[in-house]
Amino acid sequence: MTAAVMGRPGSTGLRVLRAEWTKLTSVRSNVWIALGTVAVAAGTAYGLGLFVRPGDGRSGSWVVTSGFVLAQLGFLVLGVLVGTSEHTTGTARTTYTTVPRRLPVLAAQVQVTLLAALTTASVALGASYLATGGVRAVDAPALDLSVPGAARALLGFVLASAAVALLGVGLGALLRHPASALVAGVLLVLVGDHLLAMNPGRTTDTIRAFLPSSGARLLQDDAALAGLDAVTRGPQLGVWGGGVVLLVWVVVLLAAAAYRLSRHDVR
Amino acid sequence: MIEVEALTKRYGSTTAVDGLTFTARPGTVTGFLGPNGAGKSTTMRVVVGLERPTSGTATVAGRRYADLPAPLHAVGVMLDARSVHPGRTAYKHLLAMAQTHGIGKARVREVLAQTGLEPAANRRAGTFSLGMGQRLGIAGALLGDPATLILDEPVNGLDPDGVLWVRHLVRELAAEGRTVLLSSHLMHELALCADRVVIIGRGRLLADATVQEIVARSERAGAVRVRTTDPEALARELLTAGADVTPQDGGVLQVHGASVDDVGTAARRCGVTVLELGAESGSLEDAYLQLTGDSVEYRTADTLGRTR
Amino acid sequence: MSAATTVPGAARALATARSGPTFARLLAAEWTKLTSLRSPWWVAAVTVLVTGAITYLSAQASSVDSGFQPVDSLSTGLVLGQVGPLVLGVLVGAGEFRTGAFRTTFTLAPRRLPVLAAQVLALTAFALALAVAATAACVVGIWPPAASRGIAVDLTGGDAPGLMLGMVAFGVGLALFGLALGALVRRTVPAMLTGLFAVLILPIVLMMVSDPMVGADPASTGLVDGAVPTTVPGTLMAFSPGGAAQLMTIPASYGPIDGAPDLGPVGGGLVLLAWIVVLLAAAAVRLHARDVR
Repeated sequence: MTAAVMGRPGSTGLRVLRAEWTKLTSVRSNVWIALGTVAVAAGTAYGLGLFVRPGDGRSGSWVVTSGFVLAQLGFLVLGVLVGTSEHTTGTARTTYTTVPRRLPVLAAQVQVTLLAALTTASVALGASYLATGGVRAVDAPALDLSVPGAARALLGFVLASAAVALLGVGLGALLRHPASALVAGVLLVLVGDHLLAMNPGRTTDTIRAFLPSSGARLLQDDAALAGLDAVTRGPQLGVWGGGVVLLVWVVVLLAAAAYRLSRHDVR
Repeated sequence: MIEVEALTKRYGSTTAVDGLTFTARPGTVTGFLGPNGAGKSTTMRVVVGLERPTSGTATVAGRRYADLPAPLHAVGVMLDARSVHPGRTAYKHLLAMAQTHGIGKARVREVLAQTGLEPAANRRAGTFSLGMGQRLGIAGALLGDPATLILDEPVNGLDPDGVLWVRHLVRELAAEGRTVLLSSHLMHELALCADRVVIIGRGRLLADATVQEIVARSERAGAVRVRTTDPEALARELLTAGADVTPQDGGVLQVHGASVDDVGTAARRCGVTVLELGAESGSLEDAYLQLTGDSVEYRTADTLGRTR
Repeated sequence: MSAATTVPGAARALATARSGPTFARLLAAEWTKLTSLRSPWWVAAVTVLVTGAITYLSAQASSVDSGFQPVDSLSTGLVLGQVGPLVLGVLVGAGEFRTGAFRTTFTLAPRRLPVLAAQVLALTAFALALAVAATAACVVGIWPPAASRGIAVDLTGGDAPGLMLGMVAFGVGLALFGLALGALVRRTVPAMLTGLFAVLILPIVLMMVSDPMVGADPASTGLVDGAVPTTVPGTLMAFSPGGAAQLMTIPASYGPIDGAPDLGPVGGGLVLLAWIVVLLAAAAVRLHARDVR
């Protein structure tokens, strides 16, 4: 096999990448999910912005990025669908006979999802800014980039969105069933944190800090982060700690998925 | 008895079945033929009430399927091997089917044995091969001991042993006075087990006749095939004698309007050496390809060249 | 197998009086279908274990408080445990359509609607057993923390009987909500996403709106002690499927959630029931009026 691959360039990384991009964009539901995610981000930001009152501790960047709470579901679904698509539709047989080493396919899926998620998140951020213009004119605070950490929070929206999408790819490729990957993802990025928060304590706060949901800290400006670190009874993650926790989850899940893919049979 | 009367089924702007009329009678095996996308499966789904006709009617034993008091006893249906939950064992799948009509476990065991699935009874259907899935589908169709059977591609994926078994099974079912409607792509198989053939293309009826009648319509039926050292000379001789001649590859001529004797005599007259001479027999496949020539939705370029 | 096979059933006269799918038969078939799959049993086992374990951990954590009341912790495990019945319902409702098994089902019972009713009843029975087991696991879960503080758990008085009844109804209700969504949407992933959104995520979003930010001045948010006026997010919360269901797991003596109308456990149950009925009706209309393919 090695000789054949070397003799004639068959499935090179770039070709695999292009093939995966075609697969992603040719499925109409993926395009709808991306558009829906943008709409949900902007709509949620607007809806939540309606309830912001001066002095309730919410900053201008909070208003713009608040759509993340729902938009991350879109990114998660996108990732899960990419990660499981091979296994649910039976295209696995086609894909892995074309690229028998398999791992380049997962690598290409990661890159394609990353690209799609970064694009979608940037558009969603812009749409959220425009959508919240109306509420800023009333009670919500204006977006002031000179507030410490505000610019980072906007960037954090894009980064956290992309990371959640990759978390979805990892879960999907590992579990291979969209429904179970979806339930696991929702629990990890959103619900688990919320449930633990209902019982604050040293144990629960420590667990919360090491869940992927910590990645949402990327969306907070300096003042909000300081507030979170002040009340937690677990470890204080500082500015980038939450992002690192999320990244570690993504890497570990993708590694586990890669291990399963290379060591176990594809059916 | 299955009666389909002026049946039309449209999905939006596409017409899947277009004014189709045919009857499948008791005691006969009716073959249902047509290219992919011709409307066979749609027709079968309408007959068993999964879809409603846009116009026209489809009845089984004189009633609309939905009005049958005991559908499983009236009609045995096998539509698609993927009509089973992959997580359920063969036995439990059949048991759940049987329970809807108050059929006992003994009968479930019986059809499992009859279809050769006994050893696999407690395996989950998702682990089945295509052939085993087909056997499970047939087992479900036989469960209610029905007077009518509707089988969509029953031999698909079966091994030669299984194909032979299905052939005997449907012949026997018809011999017992049951109505059997089965679709297949395997022309040879249908020619062996069907009494009548209904051929459709693009949702319309193309032919409804006995297998013999349809074979007789084939272009090759009644033709003479001759291979000689000098096909041109023989062709000239035959044309002057008033026969139709179609030259083919390898010095072969296909002759219409002349008997084997006529062709042999003509060859001697013009002094060419005959290497091969014989009457051609038509086949269901030929007749089918001619009939559906215009109505095939997806066709390879190669087939196109061969049929013309 | 031998090539020539006879048809044993054929000898039995074709004319024997044979009857079709009565409701009791459909119910038996749906019960066989539900219990012959592995996923319901897995979901049930995990749900009971997780619910009991979380209740135990949460009661253990609260037991250090001076005013610890074990019964107050009884329903804490359900906050995560509710995912189980919801997933179970979606799998049952959408499973037939996802796998193609519906073709078999609806050729056997061409009138279709009794099948949906039988599915509802079979799932109700299964979910009832699951919810009782999960509630029992919660009771077991609060026992050790209570014992460690020397508090006797009284399940017959106060809020406990009503709360346990509510917890069981909560489990069954969420399973039926999942079934209705699955039967209406017919695809597992969208149905699951909708269910998770309605039950778990929407309450979180609404809470984001009404909770003050960390470090905010409480006076400015309107959430000061005393009578809280009914707010838009609070009302949405009480009438959302998830929020209404949660009301059943809150002891009656607690009073309303801040900003929400006071529906009480029974009111919450009725709101959830209304959601289930509306979704099932929509699924029934779709099933009855349209082709199944």
